[in-house]
Amino acid sequence: MRYDKADVSRELEKIPWFKEIERKHLQRISDISHLRHVRAGEILFREGDQEDYLYIVIEGRVALDIFIPHRGKIRIFTAEPWDLFGWSSVIPNIYQRTAGAVAVVDGLVVGIDSAKLREACDADHDLGYLVMRRLSNIVASRLLVTRLQLIDMFASPEDKNAK
Amino acid sequence: MTMLATEIVRTHADLLLEPHWAEIKSIIPEAADIATYWIRFVDSDEQEAFRFEPGQFNMLYLPGFGESAISISSDPQDHEKIGHTVRFVGNVTRAVSRLKVGDIVSLRGPFGSHWPMKEMEGKDVFIACGGIGLPPLRPALYHIIQNRDKYGKVTLLYGARTSGDLMFPKEYEDWRKAGIDVEVTVDRGDANWNGRVGVVPMWFYQFRIDPHKTTILTCGPEIMIRFVIFEAMARRVPLDRIYVSLERNMKCGQGSCGHCQLGPYFICKEGPVFRFDELQSFFNVEEF
Amino acid sequence: MPNERIPDMGSTITIEKPVFNLLLSRLKEEGYLPIGPRVKNETLVYDEIESIDDLPQGYSTKQKPGNFRLVHEKHSRFFDIIPGAQSWKQFLFPSHTELFAMRKNGKSWEISSQPMEPPKYAFIGVRACELAAIQIQDGIFMREDFTDPHYRARRIHAFVISVNCTQPAGTCFCTSMGTGPRVKEEFDVNLTELDDVFVLTIGSEVARRLLAGIPFDDASGYILSNVERKLEHAEHQMTRKLDSSDLPNLIIDHLDHPYWLEIGKRCLSCTNCTQVCPTCFCWDTQDEMSLDGKTTRRNRLWDSCFNPGYSHQAGGNTRPTIYSRYRQWLSHKLGTWKEQFGTLGCVGCGRCITWCPAEIDITEEIAALRNEVNR
Repeated sequence: MRYDKADVSRELEKIPWFKEIERKHLQRISDISHLRHVRAGEILFREGDQEDYLYIVIEGRVALDIFIPHRGKIRIFTAEPWDLFGWSSVIPNIYQRTAGAVAVVDGLVVGIDSAKLREACDADHDLGYLVMRRLSNIVASRLLVTRLQLIDMFASPEDKNAK
Repeated sequence: MTMLATEIVRTHADLLLEPHWAEIKSIIPEAADIATYWIRFVDSDEQEAFRFEPGQFNMLYLPGFGESAISISSDPQDHEKIGHTVRFVGNVTRAVSRLKVGDIVSLRGPFGSHWPMKEMEGKDVFIACGGIGLPPLRPALYHIIQNRDKYGKVTLLYGARTSGDLMFPKEYEDWRKAGIDVEVTVDRGDANWNGRVGVVPMWFYQFRIDPHKTTILTCGPEIMIRFVIFEAMARRVPLDRIYVSLERNMKCGQGSCGHCQLGPYFICKEGPVFRFDELQSFFNVEEF
Repeated sequence: MPNERIPDMGSTITIEKPVFNLLLSRLKEEGYLPIGPRVKNETLVYDEIESIDDLPQGYSTKQKPGNFRLVHEKHSRFFDIIPGAQSWKQFLFPSHTELFAMRKNGKSWEISSQPMEPPKYAFIGVRACELAAIQIQDGIFMREDFTDPHYRARRIHAFVISVNCTQPAGTCFCTSMGTGPRVKEEFDVNLTELDDVFVLTIGSEVARRLLAGIPFDDASGYILSNVERKLEHAEHQMTRKLDSSDLPNLIIDHLDHPYWLEIGKRCLSCTNCTQVCPTCFCWDTQDEMSLDGKTTRRNRLWDSCFNPGYSHQAGGNTRPTIYSRYRQWLSHKLGTWKEQFGTLGCVGCGRCITWCPAEIDITEEIAALRNEVNR
């Protein structure tokens, strides 16, 4: 299915965060974005890929997983509508994917070209500030989830003793 | 002074911790180390007279081993049998795990406070729970389903460690059909799990909560409860509309033995269900 | 002159000291088991009293933090001692009670024995602070919504001969808690010991009946003023103070103050304070099963918030550190107790100070916490 630029901006405008930013910034991001329809089971990227997009889920659910030898893929997080994933692509020092992404149901995502987004942020620090602020929120909430998972809050004391 | 002349109110049997015998009718395994015991009092009058409110618990006694507080997980309208969902973690509950259908235990109860079923009428209900925090909320869900038109939007957000640890998964579809939005998340998924992965407090943002007309019920690990309350407060839900069910070392069920105290409260008597504004000043004190 | 009158309710009389034996025999005739202070195994205990000779005549006690000494001072008084580690709690709420025993019958169990009828106690020499402690425990075990049958059975018949304290010990602070040293109410007979006579105030109809025919005199103005002088002297002698004016808030508002950690470094979590405390009421149950699994006894035992197992639950131990257990004890005793039962849980008897092997002094700790908070 082909989408044009108008579709992309229309989808982006639905997202609360984009409602808060200036028209020109929305336009700038929209220009470097594309819509992608994904089918259940479709892999968006794999660990180690240098594929360079920041994604926003519009519909459906995308799971992030890490492959552990002898244990298989462990799902560590799922992204729901308006969740952002693939944020490491925007951070200039990380050159490859730290987890894989797979659509678990049919859905729609927006892919933002990360290289172009980095350029846009460098060129316009106002936009850069907004994007980085948004990303820091995402990273902070991801970190909280990771901490709660790390605590293993459902563990019983017996489990701890066993370790 | 001698009290011969003093009238003393007596409301309990002369036998302290008197056992009331009950028979295990069926045992339903729920997850690793967790099972639901369907129990019926041996004395049919006693069974007929037994009534409880959603959120209350019974003291389950195994002669020779001791007593353990177990929340009641069945339908309050089911007067035939009483469901107790037990996690095998202590001496008593491990002994319970060896019992079979037809074995006899003792039940004392019901004890404690209950979920605010009446106060929530006409309001939205948001239930955030984790792990073995769902069983004490199941009677509340049954009550809501039976009185569905009395409540507004009802959401159950439930999390467990893995998909295998989810309680009562076969019922979710029934609950959804009855008009409850059931949302499930796990801490860790595998390649076959297509549901949510994450933790309960985090998923709050996915739901629109009207802070003026929503009551929040939460039960689960205390760390989860803490973050659920942070989220609820961030959404401006007033503290007197957040209800928490706590677990402590309940022994007597009558606010007498002292073990389950949290500040001025005997959790077995004033709890286990608390309105959070009454709990706030003690809840976050470390090791209190 | 001795007479055959029955003393009036609320009246104050004097008896010659040997006449006290008559009162003891009357109590025994009426089926009471008289319990009082006596010296046993070189220390002071509460135990059965046959006659006045069993009382610790000539003894005094010297008490300070972590220290108790029973000394013979060659005076002639019977009630100069200040109680030791024991209190009346051990009779009304024994440290070990068999609740019931059961025998296996097929798959089920049947009760094979129930608690025995406890004796009718006559407590002799109950101090004002101890009487206040009994009243506090009455409020705990005989609440409107829950009456403990074992406590009740022991309590309702208990005959109380209280004693005004004229020689407080070094760890006493009952004046601060408003409980002593003078006994005000809730006794059957209240006794003040003067050098040559016992001065008795009659507090119940049961006491009137028991004293009928016992030789007594009405107390003269001289005697009454003498009693008053002794009590005032005792009040002035009590130098240890606990300022309770800002309790319970001083504690409840500062549960996370670092000073708790300081106390926690000294506390040994030995549970002594809770065992000797006449108001501490926590209990645990224990099943004692026979080896063949066919019979079991259900027991009740004292527990203590200083025991690590006290706050153990399925998710782990709520209070794994000593400081948190000490804070639980003190914040209950002098804090949340008030909301639970309407008073603070301390009567100022000083036992927890005397019997603490680490010499932790509740009065000093409260003062120190206050200093730290106000600094």
